Amino acid sequence: MELHQVRYFLAVASTLNFTRAAEQCNVTQPALTKGVQKLEQELGGQLIYRERQLTQLTDLGKEVLPMLERTLASAEAVRRRAQEFQRKDVAPLKIGLAPSISASLVLDPIAEIAKFVPGLHVELREGAAEKLVDLLLEGEINAAMVGDVQDVPARIDDWSLFEERYVAVLAPTHRLANRRSIGIDDLRETILLERADCDVAAKIQQSYFPEEPPQLGHCSGHDLHLQHMAAAGFGVILAPEHMPRLPTLKTIPLEGDPVSREVRLLAVQGRRYSPALDAFVKVARLRDWSFEGSDRRVPHAAVPEVARAPA
Amino acid sequence: MTTTRAAAADRFQPIDPQSDDSSPMLNQTDKTLARIRTELLTTFSAADWESYNHLVGWLRDTDVASHALKVGDDAPDFLLPDVDGRLHSSEQLRRNGALVVSFFRGGWCPFCTAELCALQAAKDEFESIGATLAVVTPETRDFPRQLKRSLGLDLKVLSDVDYGVAMSYGVLFRVPDEIKAHYSGLGFDFGARHGSPVWMLPIPATYVIDAEGRIRSAFVEPDFTIREEPAQILASLRQAAFTFK
Repeated sequence: MELHQVRYFLAVASTLNFTRAAEQCNVTQPALTKGVQKLEQELGGQLIYRERQLTQLTDLGKEVLPMLERTLASAEAVRRRAQEFQRKDVAPLKIGLAPSISASLVLDPIAEIAKFVPGLHVELREGAAEKLVDLLLEGEINAAMVGDVQDVPARIDDWSLFEERYVAVLAPTHRLANRRSIGIDDLRETILLERADCDVAAKIQQSYFPEEPPQLGHCSGHDLHLQHMAAAGFGVILAPEHMPRLPTLKTIPLEGDPVSREVRLLAVQGRRYSPALDAFVKVARLRDWSFEGSDRRVPHAAVPEVARAPA
Repeated sequence: MTTTRAAAADRFQPIDPQSDDSSPMLNQTDKTLARIRTELLTTFSAADWESYNHLVGWLRDTDVASHALKVGDDAPDFLLPDVDGRLHSSEQLRRNGALVVSFFRGGWCPFCTAELCALQAAKDEFESIGATLAVVTPETRDFPRQLKRSLGLDLKVLSDVDYGVAMSYGVLFRVPDEIKAHYSGLGFDFGARHGSPVWMLPIPATYVIDAEGRIRSAFVEPDFTIREEPAQILASLRQAAFTFK
């Protein structure tokens, strides 16, 4: 397929009017129609349903539209990057992070993008996954990283980036602090600090506390709050493995079938990707998110006692 | 920190569903790609032949390759991540000499892995004449990383996330439904590999681009079993250098 054919089709899809689409693309209507027909031939079916006054997308048209929009945006991002560069534009990039996603995860991607998008200006926002979805739809943020999330609207693209386990985090003075791993029975007999709006709360409940609820201690929606409380000896937190920890805390793996979750990248479909967003999405979807970088063969049991941010 | 990611390796599917220890393909760099092709074709099942003939016939009938960029065209610039998420721009890659861009279908395709091994074997020769080689896959996530590791490649493997570069070179097509069913049956989920619900693939193609960004040679072959021999790419590079420097 060719770029111009895709442009013609996207113009028809947004105007639902061949005359206006042709004007938008600066071509004659027969040329536009021919381009769309060629694309239809290649994609193996009609994309647009035409009957008298009515112009509508067919099911196939609706199916391929988001993909073609993304592909075209991706193809055009390079040219727009050159223009931004010449005009010395500021390149804003607003990234939403769920409370269980540490900013440490996006630092390296941001540094990488900044090499190629000199005007890059990043704004990070924190919010629960549902809130971030709303912000995406409103155009208030460009991308979001969330944990397990329910009901992502069809207008939002959603890619799984990596999976990670939950681990126990506690003060070195805690009675469980010298264990190599913590079993489910121990967990049931200890006080857990409650993470408000935790996206894996249901999974934890199901895996570790199917009969009796855990003994919950103090509560916060903020990971750092929980860490300070854990460091003060108020209880144990269950935290995603990537989360950087206060140096005064210890990390201990959980026994049995550990709770894990997927970290996902969300972005709105059909928006013109800015060069900064385009680069962010590309880096995020290729990056090696595992924590030990080049050496992935370290066995699970060898969890170091001092946690580090992923390099 | 330690990992939870070892499981990712388990998800990586075999490069060649038919391969075993007697695979005729890997590390046989003394053979031409044409010879390896002949050997690989002997491993085709009846279903493979049917799918192969259907796809190649369809690509020829719809003349998909007619969109592909040709010698003398300006090569579209790109900015793509490598297997570690580091970005590479085409301007940088061709700053000091010619750039060879080779589109391949993915780590699941034995003809692609044979081609990648042949390019790897010729890498020093490419570099000795000042050329840079970049191979481009539609695959994302850890698939390109696993491919690079499993074949021991030291090549720039770039991921054409969302197909933008293949589209701008005119080598992109939608996988017809019959072919999709065949590949699904073999266990290849391009949706997961590419991160796209619509299955697209590039026609394998090899371009030689000069330092000014002009296409000097173009090899575009709808028959995905046929690839440009590294010796031929080297000849194109030498000719381009001879003609224009």
